[in-house]
Amino acid sequence: MDLSVKPVKSLNTPVKRSAQLTALFYTVLKMILLCALGIFTAFPFMWMAVSALKTKPELMDVSLFLPRSPQWNNLYEVLFRSPLPRYIFNSLFVSAVTVAYQVVSGAMFAYAAVFMRFKGKKALFAVTLGCYMVPGAATYIPCYIILSKMGLLDTYTGLIVSNLVSIFGIFLLRQAFAQLPREFTEAAALDRAGHWRTLWRVVFPMTRPTFLSFILISFIGCYNNYMWPALITNRPELSLVSQGLRRFFIEGGAYGTNWPLVMAGSALIIVPLLVLFAVLQKHFIAGLSADAGIKG
Amino acid sequence: MKFTLRKNLTVAAFVLPALIPLAVFWIWPIFNAAYISLTNWDYMTAEYDFVAFRQYEKLLSSGEFHKALLNTLVFCAASAVLTIAGGLGLASLLHRGFRGSGLFRALFFSPWITPTVAVSLVWMWIFDEKNGIANAVIGLFGLPALKWVGSSATAMLAVIIVTVWKSVGYAMVFYLTALDKVPKSLYEAAALDRASRRQSFFWITLPCISPTTFFLAVVTTINGLQAYDQIQILTQGGPAGSTRTLLYLYYQLGFEKYDMGRASALAVTLLLLCIALSFAQNLISKRMVHY
Repeated sequence: MDLSVKPVKSLNTPVKRSAQLTALFYTVLKMILLCALGIFTAFPFMWMAVSALKTKPELMDVSLFLPRSPQWNNLYEVLFRSPLPRYIFNSLFVSAVTVAYQVVSGAMFAYAAVFMRFKGKKALFAVTLGCYMVPGAATYIPCYIILSKMGLLDTYTGLIVSNLVSIFGIFLLRQAFAQLPREFTEAAALDRAGHWRTLWRVVFPMTRPTFLSFILISFIGCYNNYMWPALITNRPELSLVSQGLRRFFIEGGAYGTNWPLVMAGSALIIVPLLVLFAVLQKHFIAGLSADAGIKG
Repeated sequence: MKFTLRKNLTVAAFVLPALIPLAVFWIWPIFNAAYISLTNWDYMTAEYDFVAFRQYEKLLSSGEFHKALLNTLVFCAASAVLTIAGGLGLASLLHRGFRGSGLFRALFFSPWITPTVAVSLVWMWIFDEKNGIANAVIGLFGLPALKWVGSSATAMLAVIIVTVWKSVGYAMVFYLTALDKVPKSLYEAAALDRASRRQSFFWITLPCISPTTFFLAVVTTINGLQAYDQIQILTQGGPAGSTRTLLYLYYQLGFEKYDMGRASALAVTLLLLCIALSFAQNLISKRMVHY
């Protein structure tokens, strides 16, 4: 019950009316503020979209918001005549394999942490938690050396094997598993279902939303990843989207950056993600909010 | 006996698929980095000398480290404060749902999922000195055109704007959850005592959400320590080193100059900073549980 805001309607005294006016004023102010901030947030996306459809001279004219006639040719150019689709394929492929392994191995690890009893479990988990605080970059030089010794620099395999664990995902799943009522897994144990079957037939169906959050957040992370993949790959045809887009930008730069094409390329990479997010935003946000419980 | 062996094998089968990569690509590299930081290895040659803490001495006394440390502090502090304050502001505007509030939430959060490299390219075009819209907009308010990423005076500002734009929705998501958890009875009691809106914000809302604030302070600071993508695209640490953060310096030392010893010393320093921050947050949040 919110006692403070609801005015009693029958008492339509001038005092009440002025209170209503103040409330209305605040609502209007709030909406104006929200719309202004919304425009600021969406502006780079809109500016990208309209710039992608302009000609080069039109682009130089700041006073012009919309292109005179949309240059769909720019999109055609990046879609069929540039290496960007190849980079998108690379990112999709590497992320899919990486995330598939992360989810299966992470689920097994989290299952062991919650439902199995063994020596050293606490120490194992303390170490894993410790890794969560480590900035990834601190491991880059040794990881680079390991990959070069394994002959995996500049390969898909190298990109994938160096990223097989998602510590974030392990914590996310562990938290979801720990909240399950024990009766279910105990019943499964009485049925003599093996641990493997218990995990995928009992635990997984009950924690499906957490799995989806894990997959989405980890997938986006892999897909967008820039620094590490750029360090360990050199061949252009192996670039992930971020590195590829930068390459595309620099190569065009020799004759003065071709901004309409760069914007069309950015749009090609950003828009599918925005669509994916629009459809599944609930799961992104649920996964993130659970993260607060881990560190907080 | 047979039973325990089988049980141990099962445990191993469940733990190892994640533990092996974790050990190879996280745990071992941390110790390895600590070891390399005690040498003068240059990556090109096989030989190197053990130099104890000399790399740390040289690093910590060098001017470029001091400048990068200062840049990092400015960058982390400014982006953390603006992200947190902005996130709280947005969440306060949105947490009492109204028609269309879901749309605003999604909109404010959306930059967080987009690739930093791609959006930094878009921002770079916005910040373009001659034809960028940023200068056109500030021109409307009668302000002089800025050089943005082209000048050491404003490059950091541009990097901070992009960072805050991208992460403010992330902070908002956490505050939305936190604001929902504040007990309504507290506000009712305050209303009976005729507390003003401002009073109940400062004396009820802020203390109740303080664990979230601390969590976000640490997370955004740690993210700030690790920021690379937007700097690489917008400024490459320049002009004149004005946006070179510790992480960017690490990248330049390790992967441009191949000074592996010095770079590893910097990596270990960064690592210790992150661990210290996490512990501080844990200690403080244990003492400040308000719900």
